[in-house]
Amino acid sequence: MVKIRPEFADEIKKFGGVDFNACYNCGNCTAVCPLSVTDNTFPRRLLRYTVLGMEEDIQASTDPWLCYYCGDCSSTCPRQANPGEIMMALRRYLTASYDWTGLSRKFYTSKKWGIGSLVLIGIVVILLFAFFLPFTADPAGLINEDGGVKINHFVKGMDGETFVKTIEIGDLVMAAIITFFLVSNIFNMYLKIVIRNAKKVKVPFSLYVKEAWNLFYHFGTQMRFSKCEGKSYWLLHWLLMSGYTLMFTVIVVFLPWFQTEKIHPIYHPQRFIGYYATFGILLAIIVWSVNRLRKSGEIHKYSHKTDWVFLIMLFLTTLTGIMLHIFRITGMVHFTYYTYVIHLAILVPMLLVEVPFSKWSHLAYRPLAIYFTNLVNKAAALKKK
Amino acid sequence: MTPDEVKYDVVVVGGGIAGQEAALNLANSDQQVLLVEKDLSIGGHMIHLSKVFPTLDCGACITTPKMSETVRHPNIRVSTFSEFTEIERLSDGTFTGLLTRHPKYVIEKDCTGCQDCEDACPVVVKDQYQYGLVGRKAAYVPFSISNPRVAAIDIENCILCGACERACPADAIDFTQKIEKTKVSAGTVIIATGFNLFDPDVIEKYGLGKHRNVITSMQMERQLVPTRPYNNVLRPKDGKMPDNIAYVLCVGSRDQTLGNPICSQVCCMYSAKQGQLLMGALPMADVTIYYLHIRAFGKGFEEFYQQSIGMGVEYVKGKVGTIDEKENGDLVLRYEDIREGSIKEATHDLVVLSVGMLANPEAGTLFMNNALELDEFGYIRQVDMLRNPASTNIEGVFVAGTASGPMDIPDSIASSGAAAAEALSYLKRKS
Repeated sequence: MVKIRPEFADEIKKFGGVDFNACYNCGNCTAVCPLSVTDNTFPRRLLRYTVLGMEEDIQASTDPWLCYYCGDCSSTCPRQANPGEIMMALRRYLTASYDWTGLSRKFYTSKKWGIGSLVLIGIVVILLFAFFLPFTADPAGLINEDGGVKINHFVKGMDGETFVKTIEIGDLVMAAIITFFLVSNIFNMYLKIVIRNAKKVKVPFSLYVKEAWNLFYHFGTQMRFSKCEGKSYWLLHWLLMSGYTLMFTVIVVFLPWFQTEKIHPIYHPQRFIGYYATFGILLAIIVWSVNRLRKSGEIHKYSHKTDWVFLIMLFLTTLTGIMLHIFRITGMVHFTYYTYVIHLAILVPMLLVEVPFSKWSHLAYRPLAIYFTNLVNKAAALKKK
Repeated sequence: MTPDEVKYDVVVVGGGIAGQEAALNLANSDQQVLLVEKDLSIGGHMIHLSKVFPTLDCGACITTPKMSETVRHPNIRVSTFSEFTEIERLSDGTFTGLLTRHPKYVIEKDCTGCQDCEDACPVVVKDQYQYGLVGRKAAYVPFSISNPRVAAIDIENCILCGACERACPADAIDFTQKIEKTKVSAGTVIIATGFNLFDPDVIEKYGLGKHRNVITSMQMERQLVPTRPYNNVLRPKDGKMPDNIAYVLCVGSRDQTLGNPICSQVCCMYSAKQGQLLMGALPMADVTIYYLHIRAFGKGFEEFYQQSIGMGVEYVKGKVGTIDEKENGDLVLRYEDIREGSIKEATHDLVVLSVGMLANPEAGTLFMNNALELDEFGYIRQVDMLRNPASTNIEGVFVAGTASGPMDIPDSIASSGAAAAEALSYLKRKS
């Protein structure tokens, strides 16, 4: 028996759902969706769950993650009930429901928490620099033979290697925090979807191994995305994703290789990676921001405040990154140091908040959802045999 | 008859079943009526229907006697291929307007309807009265049971070869005819401008026009009437007799993306009717109706719907999302079966789109300064819907039939009776 909880709909409105109560259950959305298949029919089913407040069924479903929001359902919906946007709102809701700390929900539903946490972490980063890595060296001695700034010698009496090492330790601490929260949230997701699945099947161990390729394949390519109409959108997203992933890996794992004193020639992979990532990220931010401002296309019609926070933070990170690069190669010592601090004071809170608790968590949840869906569906098929 | 101003008691705009009914009621009460029809023949949509629900009476058998009565009535003057516009209410409560008669290039009183001109004419274009299923000539009698049964020259497609003129035994063809404009004054006006059919061309995912075996319900209706073009039910692409027919309901109705969020009130029932007729016409064929909700709300409708189920029509709940064509012309319908909550694909060899009704936008342009108020859907606003359903925002102007909103034939005729009675009462009060 299903207990009906209409107040749940009001909750979903906070996550961005609009007009979904207008739905008259014709199934047009499901029928026009290029990704909806027999085993996973959406979005109508999820919309129905939302209207009835069937929280457990929503949390056990991977369907919101299988949708890539091409918007066909919304643009052809006879009731203009915005099924595409309810899928988006449910993705936000699911991110919050996987998060056992409750922080994610706060970030999504409260402006104070959302902005406050970013500001707070930013201040902490600035204070850490002020205490441990203050600008104390003599500016005159910080210019290289090639005219650039010696980026690792701002602290008096600290050699370049130690400076990079200190930053690297900070990086690793940040990575550890992100990983801890993200992995524990993923485990929570796994419990909800695979262990307490609606089909009541036990997944054999061999399936876990056999299906693992899904994770890497879908993380790397987002091929499902390209099934939606509009290949250019997929390409843009892929540019952003690949640039971002490259940058993240380089900064966290290969910092000593990336943050060098010497300014390499322009074709050196260190600079090439930086430029590639900057180009991809910037292009995506500009296109998406313009589209969101113009409300062009279903996917950009409605913008939750967290969508804007995401775009703005990413833009500021990229902007300060570009400025830092220019100041450094033109030998502007003071500007280089302060921009470096500001760059990190934006980047660190963005990663700490967005990756485990907010929009960026989808980098893990989307491929995992495809993986889990295959596990449950294939286990159910095995059971039938 | 070309005095500067002609006087009538009543002008009825629109010669469909509603307009005819209102005109006859008033004429029988000794009122002088001018019936203005924009088309070549009166009869409206109903004359083109096969049978009518829920009684399965023959539509033409009901309409043709009414048409004849209207055209021959001593108190009614019918003006076809005409418009009545620039209507204005004067301070004494009477009305004036401009009657515009477009030239048919045929002298109406001389034409015998022999169709010799049709035989002679070398131009073939799509026949709008058969909904494009077959062709017609540029010189033509509109349809076999048209009234008045008078030929007309389709001047836009005419090549001015003069063959019709030479062939006409009555010398009725006259290419020198011009638009005639006459001022008309009347005691009261009844608007019965009816509805427009929704054109599903705009729904790309259904592929009408692209997939040739997707047709509209009016095209199916024409294939089921006694005066039908092929004398059989055939699918257009290859002339195959279909044996697995799908109906898609709510095409153009209850759909905000198409600007028409309301129910058309007739599609469920006419689809159930066509399903039953197909069971007779093609006894071996399967008929499946894809619906959102069946609205069988009128007297005898639910029984009629049940009867169609009893005869073997299958009903599937779910809106068809997309229609794709296979190489052999068959069509694949993708839909969510709402009763199961699963995605399905079904193959049919003919798909009928049950198109809905739209307001006729002409209703709003008849009056000076667009004085006649419309509702949010473009139909004429009924200011006192419950007590005086025929009243409009202009005193002395009454609305009959589907000009005020979607309705079926019995409701349309009832509404015309109300409009006629209110108009008569208005006339009596004024005199």
